[in-house]
Amino acid sequence: MSKLITIDPVTRIEGHLRIDVEVDGGAVKNAWSSGTMWRGIETILQGRDPRDAWIFTQRICGVCTTVHAIASVRSVENALGLEIPLNAQLIRNLIVTAHTLHDHIVHFYQLSALDWVDVTSALKADPVKAAQLAESISSWPGNSKHELAAVKARLEGFVKAGQMGIFTNGYWGHPAMKLSPEVNLLAVAHYLQALEIQRKANMAVAILGSKTPNIQNLAVGGVANAINLDSPAALNMEKLYQVKTLIDEVATFVQQCYLPDVAAIGGFYPDWFKYGAGVTNYLSVPELPLDEKMSKFDIPGGVLWNGKLELAHKLAGWNDDYLKQNVTESIAHAHYDGAWAKGPWEEDDKPKFAGEWKHETPAPDRYTWVKAPRLEGKPVQVGPLACVLVGLASGHEPTTRWATAAIGAVKAIHKIDLTPAHLHSTLGRHAARAIRAAMMAEMAQKQWKLLVENIGKGDTRIWVDPMANLKPGIYKGVGFHEAPRGTLSHWCVIEADKKGMKLKNYQCVVPSTWNAGPRDASGALGPYEKSLVGNPIADPKLPLEALRTIHSFDPCLACAIHTVDAEGDEIARVKVL
Amino acid sequence: MARIAVFGIGNVLTGDDAVGPYVVKVLEARWELPGVEVVDAGTPGLDLTAYFAGLDAAVLVDAVKARAAPGELRTYSREDLVKRSPVLAVSPHEPGLREAVMNAEFMGVCPATVRLVGVVAERTDLGCALSPSVQAAVPAAVEQVLSELRALGVAPRPRDPPAEPDLWWEKGRAG
Repeated sequence: MSKLITIDPVTRIEGHLRIDVEVDGGAVKNAWSSGTMWRGIETILQGRDPRDAWIFTQRICGVCTTVHAIASVRSVENALGLEIPLNAQLIRNLIVTAHTLHDHIVHFYQLSALDWVDVTSALKADPVKAAQLAESISSWPGNSKHELAAVKARLEGFVKAGQMGIFTNGYWGHPAMKLSPEVNLLAVAHYLQALEIQRKANMAVAILGSKTPNIQNLAVGGVANAINLDSPAALNMEKLYQVKTLIDEVATFVQQCYLPDVAAIGGFYPDWFKYGAGVTNYLSVPELPLDEKMSKFDIPGGVLWNGKLELAHKLAGWNDDYLKQNVTESIAHAHYDGAWAKGPWEEDDKPKFAGEWKHETPAPDRYTWVKAPRLEGKPVQVGPLACVLVGLASGHEPTTRWATAAIGAVKAIHKIDLTPAHLHSTLGRHAARAIRAAMMAEMAQKQWKLLVENIGKGDTRIWVDPMANLKPGIYKGVGFHEAPRGTLSHWCVIEADKKGMKLKNYQCVVPSTWNAGPRDASGALGPYEKSLVGNPIADPKLPLEALRTIHSFDPCLACAIHTVDAEGDEIARVKVL
Repeated sequence: MARIAVFGIGNVLTGDDAVGPYVVKVLEARWELPGVEVVDAGTPGLDLTAYFAGLDAAVLVDAVKARAAPGELRTYSREDLVKRSPVLAVSPHEPGLREAVMNAEFMGVCPATVRLVGVVAERTDLGCALSPSVQAAVPAAVEQVLSELRALGVAPRPRDPPAEPDLWWEKGRAG
């Protein structure tokens, strides 16, 4: 007899991700991923000046602010055919890399490590043994026996006072938890240390972007950071050195702590290099443009089919027509009027709620507000794993080097031989995110050097006026960004006349739509859905395993409403029917 | 000197959820608040923990769901916020204020005083305007924030002349 488990965690937030898995014989037999609210924020943009779009799109989501700002200015610039001054590209690249580091660190330590780490087990750890173990893995200075003993004492204090607070809903003592007490203690120590590091990454973004969480320094045509190495009001040498110091500290943490932690923790869960592959078609777009025409990039893009580590299509740049011709979104199983699959420029959304899905199986025909993006009509996985696999297939040296380091660390600690093929898995997504973070840290340092060198040549240009040569007409553009959660694209249609310009259409195809999207008209499962099928579920009341797989994608859907329910009833978490 | 910050929390694109950012924009335009940092924080999720680090007191303004009429104010203490258990997070957006406070407590960076000035929301669907009931509550919410700040020893001074609040999301569309 099969059971349906619904993970529908937060009634407080309207517009979250809901996962339903049908469990039979201790494993997932079928799965559905759904979003419970219409986002539709694109409609807010219709009729507005395209130069203002980024200020609005940066508010789509409070965690991915800079990401939607960057994609939006690139979209409008692409439509108008602008070339962007090199300083502006490099300043944006620095913001992109620093934000990525912040995001990957927060995802691993604060949002998903506790799927694998049993905090209460750390109470049984011997800090001396834990320090010895850590020393054998990495030179990170935060692993001394004194530091670890202090963390253990702090944890004991919390438990004694009954103040487990944030950890109340942890799956302590779950049979799927496998780490030794010492590794659990190290993970808790690094969980605490990660907070300071994420602040440093954020400070780098704030110095360049004037503010966080919502940056102020972008403009269609470039950036608003006046460059004058001697002026206290402008981007000067002192501020640039502050950014460098911050980036260097974050890089050290990512390379000496985050990556080794993933290797140390991952090796205790070898089965999870087998589960969770799901859709093994991958897309990653070129990122970190290195010239004004956007013809050269520091990180390559491409498409892989069926898990093969060879590029089916190499994306030379953002003007490659392949994506413009082959990206569609299907609404066959979503709450919209019609059943079309269209390219983003042609989409005309008419939301139409088909009724609530109670808990019947299979799911009703229309079960989500999320569309199903497809490439050449096929489902595709995006995210750090796609970026790393495309990097490996492209022979990208830094990606290859850090992937080799990660595989080497697992071998050294656990005597397990991993190959790139193991990356098609739940743990593979975590490993790839750590590999990508280590690579991006290096890229952040490189972008800084390029910026300082370019300014040193006497180039202080930061902006071109998008209105300067504007002729009446219709312009279509797409802005790509390889964001922390994967390929993001903003598609715009602009109408320009003598008075100015306005947006006729605007569509955001976001990474979590690629991954969390539903079935399409052919019935092909989306990446979340397919990745859950076959996962073991030891205890249907505590479906930790399903959460592990979903968390490994770093989902990001509930972007809209954050109303605090301060007096409401206890929140329904997991329903087993 | 105590380090104090006011945070406006919420999404300016989803109706009454904008009330947090709205109130801090009005506060900034009308009042000088010596030594107080005023932040339009959007919907930061767990990132709020990082903003808490180093503060002695945080005053937050956010839309709330409560058993009360839209536009009514409800003020909560740190203890009120953490007494219920946290939600299970699937995405990074789901951890809310309660989880950020609990996380900050575990991290050892929670401000000694956390006050939430909540405005009961009427509608939080897509749109760039407050509903009339919540709009009408803005002056009282600003007063409540000022009163929380005075209790923390801040001496707010009316800005002379007052500035126009920067409510950019409410502005009209081009042509």
